Amino acid sequence: MRDFAYLRATSTEAARQAAALPGAMLLAGGTTLIDLAKCGVAEPETLVDITHLEGLDGIAVDERGAMIGALARMGHVADHADIKGRFPAVSEAVWQAASAQIRNMATIGGNLMQRTRCPYFRDPSNFSACNKRQPGSGCSAIGGVTRGHAVLGTSEACIAMYPGDLATALVAFDATVHLGERQLLVDDFFLLPGATPDKEHAIEPGEMITAVEIPASAAARRSTYLKVRDRQSYEFAAASAAVGLELEPDGRTIRDLRVALGGVATKPWRARAVEDALKGKVLEPDAVRAASLLAVEGAVDHGANHYKIELAPRVVARAILTLGEAA
Amino acid sequence: MTSKTTIPVHLDINGQHHTLELEPRVTLLDALRDRLGLTGTKKGCDHGQCGACTVHVDGERVLACLTLAAQAEGRAITTIEGLAREGEPHPVQTAFLERDAFQCGYCTPGQIMSAVACIREGHAGSDEEIREYMAGNLCRCGAYPHIVAAVRQAALEAAS
Amino acid sequence: MTVRSIRHGDASDGGADAVGGRLSRVDGPAKITGAAKYAVEQQLEGLAHAVLVESTIASGKVRAIASKAAEAAPGVLKVLTPDTIISLRTASDWFGTPPPDKPYCPLARDITFSGQHVAAVVAETFEQAVAAAALVKVSYDETPAIVDLSDGKAGDGIPVDAMTKEWGDAQAAFASAPVRICAAYNTPREYQAPMEPHGLIARWEGDHLTVWEPSQWLDGMARTYAEWFGVPFENVRLVSPYIGGGFGSKALALGHGAVAACAAKMLGRPVRLVMTRPQTFTGYGGRAATRQTVTIGADHDGMIQSIVHRGVNETSIDGMWVEPLGSVTSIMYATPNFSSKQNVVRVNSVVPGAMRAPGENPSAFGIESAIDELSYEVGIDPLEIRLRNYAEQDPEAKKAWSTRQLREAFAAGAERFGWARRTPEPRSMRDGNQLIGWGVAAGTYPVRRAYGEAIVRILADGSVEVESSSIDMGQGTYTILAQTAAETVGVSADDVVVKLGDSRFPRAGVTGGSRLAGVMTGAVHKAATAALDQLVGLAISDPRSPFHALQANTLVVANGRITAPRGDGPDVSISELLESVGRDRIEAVGDTMPANSSAEDRYKNYTTIAMALPHTEGDYSRHSWCAHFVEVRVDEDFGTVRVSRVVSALDSGRLYNPKLAESQWKGGIIMGIGQALLEEGIMDRRHGRIVNNNLADYLVPTNADIPDIEVISVGIPDLHSSVLGGKGVGELAIVGMAPAIANAVFHATGKRVRDLPITLEKLI
Repeated sequence: MRDFAYLRATSTEAARQAAALPGAMLLAGGTTLIDLAKCGVAEPETLVDITHLEGLDGIAVDERGAMIGALARMGHVADHADIKGRFPAVSEAVWQAASAQIRNMATIGGNLMQRTRCPYFRDPSNFSACNKRQPGSGCSAIGGVTRGHAVLGTSEACIAMYPGDLATALVAFDATVHLGERQLLVDDFFLLPGATPDKEHAIEPGEMITAVEIPASAAARRSTYLKVRDRQSYEFAAASAAVGLELEPDGRTIRDLRVALGGVATKPWRARAVEDALKGKVLEPDAVRAASLLAVEGAVDHGANHYKIELAPRVVARAILTLGEAA
Repeated sequence: MTSKTTIPVHLDINGQHHTLELEPRVTLLDALRDRLGLTGTKKGCDHGQCGACTVHVDGERVLACLTLAAQAEGRAITTIEGLAREGEPHPVQTAFLERDAFQCGYCTPGQIMSAVACIREGHAGSDEEIREYMAGNLCRCGAYPHIVAAVRQAALEAAS
Repeated sequence: MTVRSIRHGDASDGGADAVGGRLSRVDGPAKITGAAKYAVEQQLEGLAHAVLVESTIASGKVRAIASKAAEAAPGVLKVLTPDTIISLRTASDWFGTPPPDKPYCPLARDITFSGQHVAAVVAETFEQAVAAAALVKVSYDETPAIVDLSDGKAGDGIPVDAMTKEWGDAQAAFASAPVRICAAYNTPREYQAPMEPHGLIARWEGDHLTVWEPSQWLDGMARTYAEWFGVPFENVRLVSPYIGGGFGSKALALGHGAVAACAAKMLGRPVRLVMTRPQTFTGYGGRAATRQTVTIGADHDGMIQSIVHRGVNETSIDGMWVEPLGSVTSIMYATPNFSSKQNVVRVNSVVPGAMRAPGENPSAFGIESAIDELSYEVGIDPLEIRLRNYAEQDPEAKKAWSTRQLREAFAAGAERFGWARRTPEPRSMRDGNQLIGWGVAAGTYPVRRAYGEAIVRILADGSVEVESSSIDMGQGTYTILAQTAAETVGVSADDVVVKLGDSRFPRAGVTGGSRLAGVMTGAVHKAATAALDQLVGLAISDPRSPFHALQANTLVVANGRITAPRGDGPDVSISELLESVGRDRIEAVGDTMPANSSAEDRYKNYTTIAMALPHTEGDYSRHSWCAHFVEVRVDEDFGTVRVSRVVSALDSGRLYNPKLAESQWKGGIIMGIGQALLEEGIMDRRHGRIVNNNLADYLVPTNADIPDIEVISVGIPDLHSSVLGGKGVGELAIVGMAPAIANAVFHATGKRVRDLPITLEKLI
């Protein structure tokens, strides 16, 4: 790690101002930033520690929705009774992320800033080409080891997979991220790589995530997060799905459906085509499986990650059918 | 250690106060091991991938390798060396010995710190839950079934 | 390192102190409190910190190393490059083969693999060294690399004639067999990945070198350091109090050790160098990638008539590693005709090394998968076909087994597992979306024997002290040697202090191949017996002894007290006796070397593997055996495999401490689960570089991946194998696990996976 200065922010405003200076970065739980600094990927000149700020770690849930402070720790969100009750997919996404220790460190705001696990991105000394790290330098992953890379939302410049779980659940339920006064949908907060994979989030210098808001919905209340991976735990998804389901009073017709994919795309991936195909239809296994194939419409593989195109629809279908079975 | 960039860092570790002059980039793990000689906290990967460096900060289990020492200022830090009370080992430590929940011993302090927190969090309700909530501590010797048994034993003792 | 036993084992077992008792680890209290100081955790005055710089190409030459920026960085003491590092001599290999007379440079100019050490930075602090190392810029002239066995440039490799085994006419018998199967089985590069990374502290005092380094072989590594630096063997002290896992990877002195010792010599201060986790994937070798073809000719009753086996393993460009792939193939089943041959292929890799059951492990994956395929081919239960082809003697050596409780293992494991309830058809057992499969496979590992040396002292306070330069990396050496000394002398294990991990102590050979327990219990038993004889001799014959007047032939020592056999005399403690005869200690050195061994023989025995005894020496063939029964659950949509149940029955002969042996067995089984389902070094073929070189991407099992595991001991004391009757424990249990799982996956899914690991994309 190169040497840096350390500033402990005493107020949100001071944090924003300090972080706006060249070479400065906000430091929350550190589970991404310190890791990447050790990899030589992040080279801050100043770290602005916001973990000592008061009042940004609240979790408030009522009938309108949930408001989660940016510094709320993932572990607390996962275990929060009302999050579990009203947003089970959110709780499940979070407790299946990383490990208990990391979830105790990582904050909700920091988690939205989590960066890709692409091995080429993470190893500058061996792989100099990475458009995400160094715009215009090329992409080492294309043509390389791609088993963990994205099949959706990729570009010629970047195929790095977005590795997070929480944001996948957030985009399914139309959550918004609060950047102080400004708010935007989590879906819009994450950017496609396109020609500028270095620009991952719609956040400007001087802005800081202050909260995440999840509107209540019947689909969110009946929801689940299904994560499939090689290892049973402590691993990123091979494919995952956040799904919410609302049925008509007949108990079989789909009124509302939310589907988002993790582990397969360059950003948290809302699968509206699946939702649209099934809304108003009777929940029935063959129809669900057929519609779930729409989740990977337009997917492009790079060889070793082809399995994700087959796997992701099966994960979606299983999640929907499991919710349908649950009374 | 005569870098111009060092800052004073006050750490509360196992109830003892320490003041160190550190570069801000020094992690809590390296501060413990290299500056304070508290080597019970282990370095296995230095990247949050193994859990060997698990300590408690304000009572919660975290990874010392991804925590800057400076960040831990003002927090109560507990390491494996501070787990015993008045010379009596913590029940989790005793259970690890009785159940032979380790072999080489290198992951063990992290496992024990994690297990103490796992029980405190209420995540030791079943073997399946213990396995999941202890999954962040890798053990290459393969003591997992015995770790589960030790956590189960200590959790039952704590509940009774 | 001194470890005094503090507490006893299972309260349920009254005889915990004795050999065979379930005494808890005597080094346990230090390990659960954080008090156990591992090698690089010594706190030394003036310690400097070194960080390695590694090659980023797999083949070529270093053109230049730009080190000025690093040299100017804060705190930097030295940048070591091939041009600036002091020159060393080439050391002999582990057989003790005299080395070529040429210098050895642990920093490379000629690059033969990605991740090779090319430079090192030494600084006042670890952080400064890390930061400065990133400033060292190396330029290269790159040449095409041979990246792996499938590389078009790799060729067929070099035949290893010593691996050829043939009897009968295997090809002809295969050609005429009514049932024939033939398949290829591949295993990838795998890594030991001990939780403690490799590293060391080196300190010179004049021409004396002290190295604190995790080591499976203090005397062997001390020899290498001594030869590198041209100092007498006695001048090098290796200290290795605890070892945070080795699994074969910490037996030899390696290049990074040479770098640290050079840096310490050049700077005149102690230097610590610890590999980063990614460096542990290239700083030394993991298990070589292997390929095997196994052809079996059989009759319709499943009786094997011929086995033809061909194997290949990778080695490095300038090193030689042979992973003996025919080792299980040739002894597991009776066959009248057999042929096995092996080649090694050079690739641009670090030289592969030993990893838990080298040879036997991949060998078993081949033959134990193949016989499973044969069982389906002829329609015979996989357990039954193994029993039909049971080898009543060693088919290769044509000698009797010393002991072979494999039939008992099959019976005990099958009973406990409920094998009889298995339905034979693939895909015939399920639970919802999960396909259930039951598989079986056998494993074996030879009994490797050598000689050991120990000192046993009976001290004035009645306690007993044992010293040996052998080590404990979790197998339980501290504990079983305490038990051996306690039982032999007649004291409580609480009163035994075992000191290991210092090359100043009586010598020991390599801790590998599951030989240490048998070797060292034998040596301690001998030394303790000699000490006891001295004690009793003094008590009988010393005029000052309270027993002197008894004129007894012998005395009884038990629980630290000395009495006459019929209890008709004094009853004194060992301490009281020593005081009465005016002695402050009794000391005996015991070794198991042949009586007429020369000093040279002894040196060779402890510092090379050249003196190891063949497992087929004399009239017997000596091996440990096991049978694994495994249940897997395969998600039919996702292809994910989870092991849900394991019952293994194992024959390791007599167990010196069942509690600790069971732990080691389970550890081997768990590493086998990782091997079967998760572990694989993944190569970027353009760069010849393993890209998943960390513990997030090289997946080892987590706690959540492991079910309850039941192990059953079916061994009986085998006095042909060791002094006290034990065979091997540590290597055995991984052997056969991967094929047992692959066989269970076939039973679950109908898909035969012959390339490890069995990842989900191979099943969906």
